[in-house]
Amino acid sequence: MKKMLILFLLVLPLSLLAQQQVKGKVTDEKNNPIAFASIQEKGKSNTVIADANGAFNITVQNGNAVLIITSAEFLPQEIKVNNQTIVNSQLKSSGNLEEVVVTAFGVKREKRSLGYSAQDVKGEELTQSKQPNIINALQGKVSGVQINSGGGAPGQGASILIRGVKSLDPGRNNAPLFVIDGVIMDNSTSNVGQQASLRGMSNRAADINPDDIESISVLKGGAATALYGQVGSNGVVVITTKSGKAGKIQVGVTSSYGIDQVNKFPEVQTKYSQGYSGVYNMNDFWPSWGPTVAAAKVLDPTHPDQIYNHYARGYQNGNQFRTSINMSGGNENALLSSSVSYFKQEGTIPFTDYKNISARINGTFKFSDKLKFNPSIYFINSGGLRYNADRYNESLTYWSPRWDVMDYIKPDGTMKSYGNNNPIYGAATNQFKDDVDRIIGNMNWVYSPFIWLDINYRLGIDQSNDFRTYTAPGPKGLVGEIPYEDNGLGFVNEYRIKNRILNSNLIATFKKDWTKKFGTVLRVGNDVRDQTYDRLTAEGTELDIPDLLSLNNTKFRTTSQYKEKYRIVSFFGELTMDYDNFLFLTVTGRQDQTSTLAPGNNSYFYPSVSFAGVFSDKIKLPSWWSYGKVRASWAEIGKDYDPYSLNVYYGSYVLSSTGQVLWTRNDAKGDAALKPEKTRTLEIGTELKFLKNRLGLDFSWYKLNSRDQIIPVAISPTTGFTSTIINAGEIENKGVEISLNAVPIKNKNFSWDVNLNYTANRNKVLSIREDLTEIVVASQFGYGGSSVTMKYVPGYAVGNLYGTSYLRYYAGGKPDDGVTLQKDLPIVITATGSNAGFPTRDAKQRILGNAQPTWIGGIVNSFRYKDFGLSFQFDTQQGQYKYNQLGNFMSAFGIAKYTEDRDDAQTYAGVLPNGTSNTQVVYSGQGTKPDGRNYGNGYYRNVYRGVSENFVEDASWVRLRNLTLSYNIPSGVMAKTFMKSATVSFTGNNLWLHTDFTGYDPESSSFSSGSNATGFAGFTYPAMRSYFMTLNVNL
Amino acid sequence: MKKNIIYITLLFFTLSSCKKYLDVNENPNSPTTAPINGLLGQTTYQSALNVFRVGNLTANYVQYLASPNAASSSDIYEPIDASGSWTSLYNTMTDIYDLEKLGASSGSTQHQGVAKILMALNLKMVHDLWGNAPYSEAFTSLKLTPVFDDAQALYNTCITLVDAGIALLQQPGSAITLSTSLDFIHKGNTAAWIKTAYALKARLLMLISKKGTFNANNVITALNNSYTSNNDDAAITAFNIRNPWAQVALDNAGLLLGGWLSKQYVDMMNGTIYGIIDPRLPLIASITRFNDYRGTRNGAGRVGNGTSFEESYISTTGYYSSNTSPLFIVTYSEVKFLEAEARFRKGGDLPAAYNAYLEGIRANMNKIGVSAVNRDAYVNDPSVSVGSANLTLALILKEKYKSIFLNPETWNDARRNNYLYQGFSLPLNAALPSYIRRLDYPSVELTRNGANVPAITGLDQKLWWDQ
Repeated sequence: MKKMLILFLLVLPLSLLAQQQVKGKVTDEKNNPIAFASIQEKGKSNTVIADANGAFNITVQNGNAVLIITSAEFLPQEIKVNNQTIVNSQLKSSGNLEEVVVTAFGVKREKRSLGYSAQDVKGEELTQSKQPNIINALQGKVSGVQINSGGGAPGQGASILIRGVKSLDPGRNNAPLFVIDGVIMDNSTSNVGQQASLRGMSNRAADINPDDIESISVLKGGAATALYGQVGSNGVVVITTKSGKAGKIQVGVTSSYGIDQVNKFPEVQTKYSQGYSGVYNMNDFWPSWGPTVAAAKVLDPTHPDQIYNHYARGYQNGNQFRTSINMSGGNENALLSSSVSYFKQEGTIPFTDYKNISARINGTFKFSDKLKFNPSIYFINSGGLRYNADRYNESLTYWSPRWDVMDYIKPDGTMKSYGNNNPIYGAATNQFKDDVDRIIGNMNWVYSPFIWLDINYRLGIDQSNDFRTYTAPGPKGLVGEIPYEDNGLGFVNEYRIKNRILNSNLIATFKKDWTKKFGTVLRVGNDVRDQTYDRLTAEGTELDIPDLLSLNNTKFRTTSQYKEKYRIVSFFGELTMDYDNFLFLTVTGRQDQTSTLAPGNNSYFYPSVSFAGVFSDKIKLPSWWSYGKVRASWAEIGKDYDPYSLNVYYGSYVLSSTGQVLWTRNDAKGDAALKPEKTRTLEIGTELKFLKNRLGLDFSWYKLNSRDQIIPVAISPTTGFTSTIINAGEIENKGVEISLNAVPIKNKNFSWDVNLNYTANRNKVLSIREDLTEIVVASQFGYGGSSVTMKYVPGYAVGNLYGTSYLRYYAGGKPDDGVTLQKDLPIVITATGSNAGFPTRDAKQRILGNAQPTWIGGIVNSFRYKDFGLSFQFDTQQGQYKYNQLGNFMSAFGIAKYTEDRDDAQTYAGVLPNGTSNTQVVYSGQGTKPDGRNYGNGYYRNVYRGVSENFVEDASWVRLRNLTLSYNIPSGVMAKTFMKSATVSFTGNNLWLHTDFTGYDPESSSFSSGSNATGFAGFTYPAMRSYFMTLNVNL
Repeated sequence: MKKNIIYITLLFFTLSSCKKYLDVNENPNSPTTAPINGLLGQTTYQSALNVFRVGNLTANYVQYLASPNAASSSDIYEPIDASGSWTSLYNTMTDIYDLEKLGASSGSTQHQGVAKILMALNLKMVHDLWGNAPYSEAFTSLKLTPVFDDAQALYNTCITLVDAGIALLQQPGSAITLSTSLDFIHKGNTAAWIKTAYALKARLLMLISKKGTFNANNVITALNNSYTSNNDDAAITAFNIRNPWAQVALDNAGLLLGGWLSKQYVDMMNGTIYGIIDPRLPLIASITRFNDYRGTRNGAGRVGNGTSFEESYISTTGYYSSNTSPLFIVTYSEVKFLEAEARFRKGGDLPAAYNAYLEGIRANMNKIGVSAVNRDAYVNDPSVSVGSANLTLALILKEKYKSIFLNPETWNDARRNNYLYQGFSLPLNAALPSYIRRLDYPSVELTRNGANVPAITGLDQKLWWDQ
């Protein structure tokens, strides 16, 4: 590190010895200015960047200097100065020839040679939306990728899924592999700690500062990720961080401030006050089953004129702030790039926050023409206060809107309440905090002894230490104190986790052109991954001093630990053949040997083959058709499983009063005969460009089959276990991806770019183990037996949600198969008994909807007029259903708007069991109504809340994801300052949302970002609408 | 050159003993077999806790306790999801299954015998709450969706298990003896286990009192081999932190409301129904701010915000709910009431039934620590000492109800005898028109083994022995 800094300092003064000024302008073939081209003096380090109008001003050593002018999408140009003071440059478009994509192991390949789909996203596109989590920043920008932000919690994890769910394992992360500058990076979401899965813990990719990213390349199919082997089986997101450019030191400062609000609240009733069965009681547990507000006011003079909206009242405005400083510079032999960043966010739930501090340094050192060394180190500290959003919303639901929930604390520091728990007091005292220190380090040597041979060795490390603390004070013992339930008698829990991934990677690349038209590239390599995980848990309960939050102050203490090792050694090869630069064939093979499977099953080979043909090179196409390519690939990937999954184990605990160790059979059952899971992908696609490349289309179709799935299945506790690993079953994903980009207008002052992505994925569970009829992914509670379960059932799509429904009248209609719900049939109304006159509940578990979108789309429009830029992005996910648990509670507790009809006489539409039309007049409220009938607990509690159908809602949405207006301060103004360029921008996220879902924004999820249980969006941390102002300055 | 590089690469990575490098899959955290006495500790401790768990589920149905919230599902016969208790019962039975297997393979007939008795205890609780349940295909995971055995078959299994347990414990020469410290129930005393086994057998035989196959003599025969004094009681006294009922009482004292006594129970104890104050009440319940004992009507919920001591709760210093209170599984007092009922039903020997009835009351009062004066005053009261000729089933059940407070057996008694308790009525806001007879199957089973779960018609559906 020290040496690098010294080098960095040495490089600085070199650029200051300048002698001659050269001015000029960079334009394209049509004399339109090219903004921000890079101008460098050949053989020297001095570089300048042209302004937005292409104008530059560079100081060179003497009149014989040669300028190298480069700009993205153009061919580089060298121009001799020849003692001129004005040198203009006209660059030629690079067309398609030079379009380069970062592929596996950071290998840059011409896009035309790829037999599979790969999509790039530039750093600027990622930072525009100011999303602190890079996964959220990718939303809508890449086809084939489904991204869902888990919710609006500070630092909350987001989930990313490429080409659908590939593993039936309900708990296995289907997220792609993240690789940063060649290093395999952890992107797990750790749910260690009590209810951590409900706290919106960060996925580890959220540690990365989006401002540090130069570009992201998304590798989707099996052929694209074949070289990564099994870790890449869910796709690979390849992150390239910003690196230095030779020349003058560059300094960039970006600072942004944003305000966050909850973007959508459920609709609440405003008519009825606290109590039960219409009886008012200001201390009652029941928040809203009392009399009308007017009646309550007569009984209780302190009653407010209107009841509160406790949901809206329970959330505040959040805010976020980030500053990043980038510095880079050097010469051709030594380049350095560095950045520091500070991010702080306060959540919309009071007492939730997140901070992230990062520092990064990248170097490129050229020892000789044959040996290069690229070290980098990235340090991150992140974490914050994570409250359980599920618990918060549940408590808010119980809280009576007759009382102001924000009035939560008494002067002595104890909870203020009429009886029920105050959620804000909970968030203030019941605190879960994570504090992660992480280092991602990378050392890369490139040795090129011959023109035909490169040897590349990389040693990467990603280590994080995650310290989590979960604490609550005990009751103070004051007279009249109402303690907060979850705090018990106080507790202190400490979790210390160390997670390390070491990655060693050696690749030798042999290039040979056999004839003028035929060439080959052969890569062979070795890959070793070594992971260790170590966790220590210390939990103490019952505090002696009520507010001393230290383990030393606890009466009962328990400790436990867990250690894990995982290793995999692989050899791989890739042979690419090209013919005349228009036909390309790539074959790969990889042999894995893993530590987690038994000998005999632990070594496995899998191949891939891909083909690309640029037919536009050989076939005469109409003049409006500029480019055409077809591609096809087939790949297989093998996959192992988690360590220690081959046996049945016993666990222990200590009886704290006697110190004795008790042993019990663990709930998870392993299987000694586990064999690797196999996934096969078939992909075909085409890339087409029209109208001189102004319009581009990229289309892919894929089919992906995963066999011999290794799945831990939740099983009945009567089996002696609650989960078992099975090694059977097949799942199929099929889909299409379309990317369309167009440049409808492009001239000197005005340009308009459109980017559109469309994805549709269909999947099906083809089989599971013979003796199982279904696999339960997740289940969420609903009152009155209305729990909703997400299951895998052979023959059905992944993600079906099952629950109770209203009984339908089938006579004369379609026969009832007992599983599907025929919503178009009339509802049966009960004719006799206590529920007479009300719809009848059908307790059968039927399919109420599917949690996966039928299609996903995103469209980005970008306009530039002179120095102004405007861009906006619409995203949509259509066809998915989610269970709204909040809605279920809102009906059970009389909070939902529709429960205002409790005193209205009405007749429910439907037919009686004998098929005749229902005419019974009933009241849906509680107790005895004007018709003299006693309705008991009322329709909403007796029937409605027990019908899951009411709460499995269409969660489709369309939203204005992002709108950004930016202004580049003109170079004329900037010339008078010390700054090279400056941009001010205003950004709004989630400004508009259209959905029929009645809860919070349905994009949020009840489960954590690593989970496949996507069909639940009730008590989530609500999503946000955000407004940002950003200032970007380059020095 | 090309070849050399490949060779060097391969040498470097393969010769460094790939096999050894990859041999890291031995779990450093957990063993694949458990110590036999570690399983004994787990199963004796958890079986007792299961009695608490099931007692906690049923306490509101027999109106020992009432919810502080109006119209609480636990009071008003709405379906409740007992997944937690179901899972605990099966987890414990799984460890008992392993204990039995380990006992058999290691020649430890003592562990094997205790395992069979504990299995009967837990399986009976499952049987009593739900009826049909998995057993014959349970605990091994050979079948991932075990079938539900017929309730009557489970009942017969329980009897077989108890008999087999007794036979094993009577065998000499166990290869390993029970750990005195990890046998939380009987401290390694096999004779005490045999007595408990007979008490459980008597319970089982009494459960079918509605059926034609009921035989009072069989109950009496079993009881002859069972407890003879309070010292024989099956209970645990070691806890992780504290007695679970003490935790309920402590939470309630900290205003995490729970352990509220039902109006029915308090009225049976404080003289409202029977005109005589039961001296056990002050040793169990907390006193109200009115300086008396008041219960909460099931389904009616609290008065005020629940913090003003207007009703009685199980007390943090009460006999059943202090930190170190024993947690009872079966007691001598219950055995005497079983005897009283058996002899009463048999007929022809009312004095013996009457003596057992009085002994059951005295035993419980002695256990709880009622003074001899107060005890005798109560027992000698004409409403209690009615004379053997006037003994009724209602009297026996009333005193048994009081003496086995919080034990899940009371719900069986209530159902067997059609809730034959004076003053007993439906809870307020009841979701059923009649008394509750069974539990709904828990969601954990419905979601994971749904195809095998029998359909039920409602919570008023009577189990086979209740018909």
